[in-house]
Amino acid sequence: MILAFDWTQLAQQIVIGLASGGVWATLAVALVLIYRSTGVINFAQGEMAMFSTFIAWSLVNHGFSYWAAFVLTVAISFAGGVAVERAVIRPVERAPVLTVVIVTLGLFFVVNGAARWIWSPETRSLPNAFSTRPITVAGVAFSISDLGTIAVSLAAVALLWAFFRFTKLGLASRAAAVNPDASRLVGVRVTWMLALGWGLAAAMGAVSGMLTAPALASFDQNLMQPVLLYAFAGAVLGGIDSPLGAVVGSLLLGVLINLIGTYVNWVGTDLRLPVALAVILGVLLVRPAGLFGRPMETRV
Amino acid sequence: MRSRAPGIAVWLLVAAVVLLAYLFAPRFISDFHSRELAGAGVFFIAIVGLNLLTGYTGQISLGHGALMAVGGYTTAALAVHEHWRDVWTIPLAGVAAGIVGFLIGLPALRLSGLYLALATFAFAIAIPSLLKKFSGLTGGSQGLRLLEDAPLQVTGLSGTVTIFGHTMTQNHFLYYLTWGIGLLGFLIAWLLVRGRVGRTFRAVRDSEVAAASVGINLAWTKTLAFALSGVYAGVAGSLLAIQVEIVNPLSFTFLLSILILVGVVVGGLGSLGGMILGALFVQYLPDLSTHVSTAEGAPDFIFGAAIIVVMLLLPTGVGGFLRRLARPLTTRLYLRP
Amino acid sequence: MARVKYLILLVLGALALATVAAGAASETGVTSTQVTIGGTTPLSGPASAYQSVAKGAAAYFRYVNAKGGVNKRKINYIYKDDAYDPSKTVDATRELVSQDKVFAIFNSLGTDQNLATRAYLNALKVPQLFVASGATTFGNDYKKYPYTIGYQPNYRAEGTIYGRYVVKHAPKSRIGVLYQNDDYGKDLLAGLQRGLGAKAGLVKSKQSYNVDDPDVQSQIAKLKAAKVNTLMVFATPKFAIQAYVYARKLSWKPLVYMNAVSSAANIMGLSTAATNKKQTEGTISIVFLKDPTDPAWRNNSGMKLYRSIMKKYKGGNPNDVYAVYGMSVAHTFVAALQKAGKNPTRAGIVKAADSLNVTNDPFLLPGISVKTSATDHFPLDQAKLQRYHDGHWVAFGGLFRVR
Repeated sequence: MILAFDWTQLAQQIVIGLASGGVWATLAVALVLIYRSTGVINFAQGEMAMFSTFIAWSLVNHGFSYWAAFVLTVAISFAGGVAVERAVIRPVERAPVLTVVIVTLGLFFVVNGAARWIWSPETRSLPNAFSTRPITVAGVAFSISDLGTIAVSLAAVALLWAFFRFTKLGLASRAAAVNPDASRLVGVRVTWMLALGWGLAAAMGAVSGMLTAPALASFDQNLMQPVLLYAFAGAVLGGIDSPLGAVVGSLLLGVLINLIGTYVNWVGTDLRLPVALAVILGVLLVRPAGLFGRPMETRV
Repeated sequence: MRSRAPGIAVWLLVAAVVLLAYLFAPRFISDFHSRELAGAGVFFIAIVGLNLLTGYTGQISLGHGALMAVGGYTTAALAVHEHWRDVWTIPLAGVAAGIVGFLIGLPALRLSGLYLALATFAFAIAIPSLLKKFSGLTGGSQGLRLLEDAPLQVTGLSGTVTIFGHTMTQNHFLYYLTWGIGLLGFLIAWLLVRGRVGRTFRAVRDSEVAAASVGINLAWTKTLAFALSGVYAGVAGSLLAIQVEIVNPLSFTFLLSILILVGVVVGGLGSLGGMILGALFVQYLPDLSTHVSTAEGAPDFIFGAAIIVVMLLLPTGVGGFLRRLARPLTTRLYLRP
Repeated sequence: MARVKYLILLVLGALALATVAAGAASETGVTSTQVTIGGTTPLSGPASAYQSVAKGAAAYFRYVNAKGGVNKRKINYIYKDDAYDPSKTVDATRELVSQDKVFAIFNSLGTDQNLATRAYLNALKVPQLFVASGATTFGNDYKKYPYTIGYQPNYRAEGTIYGRYVVKHAPKSRIGVLYQNDDYGKDLLAGLQRGLGAKAGLVKSKQSYNVDDPDVQSQIAKLKAAKVNTLMVFATPKFAIQAYVYARKLSWKPLVYMNAVSSAANIMGLSTAATNKKQTEGTISIVFLKDPTDPAWRNNSGMKLYRSIMKKYKGGNPNDVYAVYGMSVAHTFVAALQKAGKNPTRAGIVKAADSLNVTNDPFLLPGISVKTSATDHFPLDQAKLQRYHDGHWVAFGGLFRVR
C-alpha cells in the first residue's frame, strides 16, 4: 500500500501548493497592515495592487529597467496609498466600521474602472524578477521564482517587524493602533499613522502585484480578484493582526487547497475553494484568533 | 395619553399616503417602468431583511446575495421539477433561505466582526460553484428557464393577469406583487423592531456582554436575526426569479451581496425609513453609470465614485441623516452632532 | 365638375400613396430612413473586455451608413449593458423590444445570456439574429426556436475537428485535456470525444478549472503524472499561457492543441516569451478570422479596411480579434438586410438569415463563406487548421467543414 502510493505526486502537489500560497502571501501581509491601522479589511487592496502592476508595466514599456521600475512603482504606490487614506478614509474615520467597509468596496470599483479606462483590456506580461528555469529535485519540480516569491514575502515581514520594533516611527504607529487616545496625549500624530499604514500596505500590494503577474504568467485587469479571497482567507487563518501569520497562513492554505483538490475526488477542482474555506472556518471555531494571532480581550 | 395621539395620527397619515402611492403609481408611469420599480422592490425586501441583521443586531453579512440565490433557485426548481405555480413557491422559498440563514448564523455564535465577514464572504463566493455542481437540480451553468421548461407555471404568460376581476398587464402584476409583499415585509419588520424582539436585537448590537448579563440568550437572538433576514432575502430572490423568469449562477455573484449591503448602509443602518432610498439607489445607479459613459471601465468607476461620495457625505446613511435632522432643536444646540 | 373629379382623384391618389408608404413602414423598428436593431453586451463587470464585439459591429455600421446605408436606410444599432448577468439581459432585452421598439435583436453576447431571452423573443416573433455564442443549441434547435440563429463556428464542432485529426494522424496518442468548467470548455471536450469516436479511450486524463482559480499548476501536474503526450487546452488566454509555463516548469513538452479563443498571435507570443520557442513549437489550432496581431495580414486589403474603419469610426483597440468578429457579423447582417428587400419585415429577415450565401466577407479567411439553408443553421462552419512554427502560425491542409 505504502509503495503503491505516489509519494512523488504528493510531494509535487505540496510544493505547488507552497508556490501558489507564496503568491498570495504578500497581498495577505498588505491586508494585515490595513487591518492593524484602520481595523477594516480593505476590499480594494487587490485592485490597488493590480493598478500598481500596470504602472510597473508602463514604466518597463517606456524603457525603464526592471529594478528601476520596481523601486519607482513601490514609491508611487506608497504615495498613492497615503493619498487614498487622506482623501477617502480620513473623512469617515469616526464613522461606523461598516461605512468604511462600503467605502473600500466603492474604491474597488473606482480603481478597477480606472485601470480598465487607462489601459486596454488585452493580456500583458511582466518580466519575472527571478529565473524560471525548471529545477527538479527527487522527481519534484519547482523554479527559483517560487522560492524567490516566498523569500520576498518573508523578507518583507522581517523588514516590517524591524520597522515596528526598532524605529521611533514604528513605535508611534503601533501605539496609535493600540490606543489612539493615549497616543495623542503623548504627541503622536495619530491620523498620519493611519496614512502611514495605508502607504505601507499599498507598497506591499505593489510588491505583491509585481510578483503575482509573472508567477501567473500573464496579467490583465482581473489579475488580483481571485487572489484577494485567498489572501483574505490566508490572513485570517494566520491571525489577522500578524504579518508572519499572513505568510504562514497563505502557504498552508495553498497546500490545503491543492491536497484536497487532488485527493478528495468528489471535491475535484470545482469545490476545492469552498471546502478549503470550510476547513478554515473549522480552525477559526476552535481558535478564533487564528494560528498566530493574539486572542483579543474585550473590555467590559 | 394626549401626547401620543398626534404621533399616531402622523403615522396613520404616512401609511395612507404610502398605500395610495403604491396603489395608484402605475397610472402615472409607463408599463415598462412598473417593471423597473418591481426590480427595485426586490432589492427593497432584501435590504429590509439585511438591515434587521446588520443594522439592528450588529451582525455583518457579506453573503445575502447567496441567500437570494437559495430563494430564487427554490422557486425555479419547484416550478420546473415539481410543476408548482410560480407565485405559490414564494413562502417556501423564504423558508428555505431562512433555514440556510439559520445555518450560517450558527458559526456567528463563535465568530464576530471580521471572521463572520469572512465566513459570509466565503459563502457568497462559493454559491455559484455549488449551484453549478448540483446540476441535476439547478440546471448547472445554464441555470433554469421557466419560459422554456415550465411555461405553464408562469403567471402572466399571455401578457395579462386577472385577479379579483381586475385585468392588468404582467408588468403591473409584478409591480403589485413585489411591492405588496415589500410593504407587508416592511410592516412586519417595523412591528418587530418596535417590540421586544427589536430591543433584544439592539441590546446584542450595542453590547453583547451587557445583553448576556441581563439574561438575553445571545445564541437564540443571533440565529433568529440570521434566519429572519434569510427569509426576507429568500422571498426577494424568489420574486427576482418570477420577474426575469430565469435563474442562473451568474446572477448571484458576490456583486449582488455587495449591492444589498451598500443599499443597507446608504439607506441607513438601523433605520427602516431610509431603506426605500437605499433600494432605489442600488437599482438605478449601475444603469445610470452606463448612461454617463460607456467607455471601457467608466461605468464601474462612476458607480464606485458615487458610492464613495454618498458615504463621505452621509456616513450614517440617509436614514441617519434624516434622524439627525429630526432631532429637537435643543439637542442640536447643546450637544455635538 | 372636372375640377372636382380631378380633386377627388388627387386625394384618392394621395391616400393610396400614404397607405403604401405606411404599409412599407409598418414593421416595428423600420422607418423610411432607418432600421433600428439592438442587443446586449457586458459594458461593466469582469467580462467587459468582450464589449469589443459590439463596438466593432457598431463601427462597421457607421461605415455602412456613411456610404448611404442599406436600401436608403441607415442602421441604428443600440447596445445595452447586461454586466454578463442573464437576469439583466432579460430586463435590457425587454426594454429594447417594448421601449426602443427594435426591428430585431442582434449580436447579443453570451450563451446563458441569449438562452435567457430566447423563448420570450420567439414567442413575440422578434428575430434573435447572429447570437454571439459558440453553443450548438442556437443552430440545432431552429425547429423549436425559428427566430433564433447563431454565427460563429461552435465549440463542439471545433473539438470534433481536433478529435478527428488525432484519429487520422496520431492514433496512438495519449491525450490529456485541460478545460474550463463551463459550457465553453465542456462543449469543446464533448466535441473532442465525439471526434475521437471509438478511440475516446485515448483521453487518459481530464482536468477542469474554474475561472476564479488563481492558477492551474495542480491540474498540469496531474496531467503530466498521467503520462500524457498530447495536451488539449480548452482554456481562455490567461490559463492557456499558464498551461505552457507550468508544463515547462515540470520539464514537460507535450504536443498542444490550442482552442481558437486563445490562439491569437499576441497570446502565443506571450506564451513563447514566457517559456521558449521549443515549448510552443508544433501547437495546432483552427482559425476562421483574420488575426489582427498576425503580421501575415499586414498588407491584406480586408485588414486594411478593418483598421481604417476602426480608426475613423472609433471602434476601439484594433489589436482586438473580437472587434474583427464584430465587423464580420455586422457585414453579414447587412447582407441579410439587403436580401430582405426594400420593405424588410421580421419574418423576411429571418428568411434571409436562413438562406445566406456571403462569399465576400473581408474579415474572414479567404475561401470561407457564410452559408445557411433550411437544414443548415450554422452560418460559419468552416475553418482551417494551423500549426505554430518558429514563432508564427502557418495554415495547412484545406478548409474543414466544422460540423
